[in-house]
Amino acid sequence: MSDSNVSKSKFPELKMNSTPMSRRQLFARAGVLGAAGLSLPALLAACGGDSNGGSGGGGGSSSLYVENWPLYIDPSEDGAIGTAERFMEATGIDLTYTEAYNDNLEYFAKIQPLLGTGKTIKPDIIVPTQWMAGRLRSLEWLDKLPIDQVPNAKNLEDVFKNPPSDPTGEFSLPWQAGTAGIAYNISATGRELKSVSDLFDPAFKGRIGMLTEMRDTIGLLLLGLGINPSTISSFDEASAAFEQLEKAKSDGQIRAFTGNDYTDDLASGNFAACVGWSGDVLQLSADNPDVRFIIPEEGGTLWWDTMVMPKGAQNRDAAAKWMDFVYDPVQAAQMTVWVQYQSPVKGVRDEVAKLDAELADNPLVFPDDETRKRLFAFAALDLDTEAEFEEAFSKITGA
Amino acid sequence: MAAAVVERIRSTDRSTGEKWGLGLLVLVGVCLLAIGAGWVPGGLSFLLLVVIGIVLVGLISAAVLGGPDLRRTLAPYGLLKPGSMWLALFYLAPLWTLLRNSLSAKESRFDVQATFSWEFSNYGTAFTDFGPQFTRAFLYAGIATALTIMIGYPVAYFIAFRGGRWRNILLGLVVVPFFTSYLIRTIAWSSILADSGPAVKIIETLRFNGILEAIGIMDDGRLINTATAVIFGLTYNFLPFMILPIYVSLEKIDTRLVDAAQDLYSSASRAFRKIVLPLSVPGVFAGTLLTFIPAAGDFVNAQFLGNPNTTMIGNSIQDQFLRQNNYPVASAMAFVLMAIITVLVLIYSKFFGTEDLA
Amino acid sequence: MSATRNVRSRVGRAALAVYAFGGFIFLFAPIAFIVAFSFNKPKGKFNIIWQEFTLDNWRNPLADEALTEALWMSLRIAALSTGISTILGSMIAISLSRYSFRGSSAYNFLLVLPLTTPEIVLGSSLATLFLGQSIVEFGFTTIVIAHVMFQVSFVALTIRARIRGYDWTLEQAAQDLGASPFMTFRKVTLPLILPGIMAAALLAFALSIDDFIITFFNAGSTMTFPLQIFGASRVSISPQINVLATSILLLTVGILAVGTFTGARRRARHGLDG
Repeated sequence: MSDSNVSKSKFPELKMNSTPMSRRQLFARAGVLGAAGLSLPALLAACGGDSNGGSGGGGGSSSLYVENWPLYIDPSEDGAIGTAERFMEATGIDLTYTEAYNDNLEYFAKIQPLLGTGKTIKPDIIVPTQWMAGRLRSLEWLDKLPIDQVPNAKNLEDVFKNPPSDPTGEFSLPWQAGTAGIAYNISATGRELKSVSDLFDPAFKGRIGMLTEMRDTIGLLLLGLGINPSTISSFDEASAAFEQLEKAKSDGQIRAFTGNDYTDDLASGNFAACVGWSGDVLQLSADNPDVRFIIPEEGGTLWWDTMVMPKGAQNRDAAAKWMDFVYDPVQAAQMTVWVQYQSPVKGVRDEVAKLDAELADNPLVFPDDETRKRLFAFAALDLDTEAEFEEAFSKITGA
Repeated sequence: MAAAVVERIRSTDRSTGEKWGLGLLVLVGVCLLAIGAGWVPGGLSFLLLVVIGIVLVGLISAAVLGGPDLRRTLAPYGLLKPGSMWLALFYLAPLWTLLRNSLSAKESRFDVQATFSWEFSNYGTAFTDFGPQFTRAFLYAGIATALTIMIGYPVAYFIAFRGGRWRNILLGLVVVPFFTSYLIRTIAWSSILADSGPAVKIIETLRFNGILEAIGIMDDGRLINTATAVIFGLTYNFLPFMILPIYVSLEKIDTRLVDAAQDLYSSASRAFRKIVLPLSVPGVFAGTLLTFIPAAGDFVNAQFLGNPNTTMIGNSIQDQFLRQNNYPVASAMAFVLMAIITVLVLIYSKFFGTEDLA
Repeated sequence: MSATRNVRSRVGRAALAVYAFGGFIFLFAPIAFIVAFSFNKPKGKFNIIWQEFTLDNWRNPLADEALTEALWMSLRIAALSTGISTILGSMIAISLSRYSFRGSSAYNFLLVLPLTTPEIVLGSSLATLFLGQSIVEFGFTTIVIAHVMFQVSFVALTIRARIRGYDWTLEQAAQDLGASPFMTFRKVTLPLILPGIMAAALLAFALSIDDFIITFFNAGSTMTFPLQIFGASRVSISPQINVLATSILLLTVGILAVGTFTGARRRARHGLDG
């Protein structure tokens, strides 16, 4: 990626579809198809097999514990069968799926006393953001994934292959990807936004939100300053963004640093605009057409959350089956329709097109090449530099 | 031989028994503190556990074998023992490990343990980087405490002197809101105070926004995410801790004293100032401690109701400890917070103190 | 007495009543909000903007599985820690109020200390203790330990305040009349101190259920009700949170009301003045 992409080239701004279908409708439709799409013979075959292992061979493990971010998988509702349940029925594996992964740093602090002293944690698979996966790998707290038992891993989109956080690709398999851009409530801003600099418009004083996820907030500000966040390697290169953020904070421009709860501030009008994540805002704008999302003209950040196995995880065979299952485009499409983030699985777009043609054409969910060029992943920093970034950021967030 | 020991125990007099009882209580406490705080290596701590075991067995047998007098002497120490052990191990020992952590350094911030190295710079960092958070913590807690007195005193007074037969029900009503979770209440306030929420609407309808803006309570037409909201939240969440102790001290006042004063032509306000107020000071004192101390260490209100410029020291400790894995600096901040509060409490008790907190 | 003074005092009384009424409104404003929003049908993930009335949430109070599980965990922790702390605290309270002995005033001081330590210090210091050892992992056990630690003082002080001034010579009298020590305890001591113990246990239980800050530092991956709400506050606030909160509120109010009612009846039966 060259710097010319980052600087002020005029790309057409991306916006939400203006005729959103209600999310409920969407589920109902997807649900019926989803239930039908799950082949009955496969189900029967699975049920016919004995309770451990199911069909498809591979070994004795019959249970699996996956810990993921909340609201990150299609649930069983409105007549649809969620991915977790479909997996259990198809494989006979007893899956425990919890949603206690709320925050990368907080989760790290929870597992550190265990993994840091050579103990194991309960989940077999956790889904940190890729930079955190990189940290866990550097600390040697991860086991290699049983990739050779995951035939569908071949469906991994090329963009995500061998990232700097996992150069050999042996430790992580992406779950969902997304973009941080600018989300705004047009009834509060009174105008369309297009650039990162709009976040610093004095007219929005005290009504701007930023994310506590350092790489998305700083990454976007760096793009706004014409610096490519993919290529930085030292704090000095990024210090301008930290200064800009610090100033905006002391001036009272920024109202709050938030996690996913920005969606609620955005909808209620507490925020005029904020740094936000594509999938969240897509879900939100289905209910509230005033809420819009753009990838600013300077570009947006690309991040992904990725499946890893903590060191000493027990159920490797079941884990392989899970990864294989969610990398089947038919299954992955069900998730995409619900979570509306970017799927790292090839072939999902065609499957989604069968369920929801409009969604399949949305460049925020299925970025075209043009859009891809404008998305930048945050550089993989070494642990010391990362510490410097985190420290500076936490100083600004004031916590 | 055994008979001689039993005889010996039987003949122990009261003051010797007291000495032993107290001595052993302290010994057990110190042993557990030492184990918890890591003052002794593994093998020795096992030995200490054995000592504790022997002491406990010895005490019980002494109580069984000894006469009723000795039993009476030893009983209070025996009763205190389990609770004291818990407090020694899980209150005192942690304070020691906290202090030790605050003087330690981590080679990598991903290490689980910090190594002790007389690292005084942690305290430097605590003050230089987090000075404003300390200031805000004490400022907000102080204002909130003053507000709880202003709101709570009349309410307590009303319940105590005008409650009549509704007294207990009114008292119950003070407590009832606090049977919903602290977090939910605070989140509820964040909705009430939101830009489009009812509080702002009411203020705008009454056209109070100009005044509130002028005196700095509202900021740019908003309440939520301001210092006002944080102080407001603290005031709300700790109000019952002010009302209840004041009520208890007011309730004890013999109303005949007030009647007598009024019969003697003292004005109502004078009677209040000369009789009721002084007698309720212990309540206000206890209430102040129960409000100020938790408020100064709170981070929930600042998190849900504040903005990045209104964070308190609790937010910093929480962030450094549970997100940045920076245990040493977090420990230093926690220790400073405790030290300042202890000093403030001591000074405060000097002026208003009663020995009776409970 | 002059008429003006009467008028003034009446105005003063009215003003005080209005002020106190305002105080109660303040106390109940968020509660009304929480209860009302348990009947809301939120559009998005956050149940914080009023949309429309529905009973759906109440039909299915346990719909949020993780939340229900967390509540269950909180109840278990509260039950166990309350049990332990009530026993330890009662022993301390009996010891302190019934006997006068060397060192008791110093002990009083030790007992008050945890109450004058901010929760964040209690939580972080205990976490440093647990970090430095490998016997227990963060989780259920550490939470119970932490809760007992702050409950003990509350329990001991509450019971002590209740039983101060009791006439302990009754015990002596019972023993003089030939009752065994166990009998004396069961028939004389226990009935005397039981109301205090019950009140203290109730308080300890409530403290445990609602504790967030200390638990946050010592929970590891264990999710209690407040921790679940904290996690949810950043992702999605389901109406079930309000439903469960309202249910807990109603339940405790119910228990209190029944307690007060039966207490009043008992007192009436015994011809004692409340």
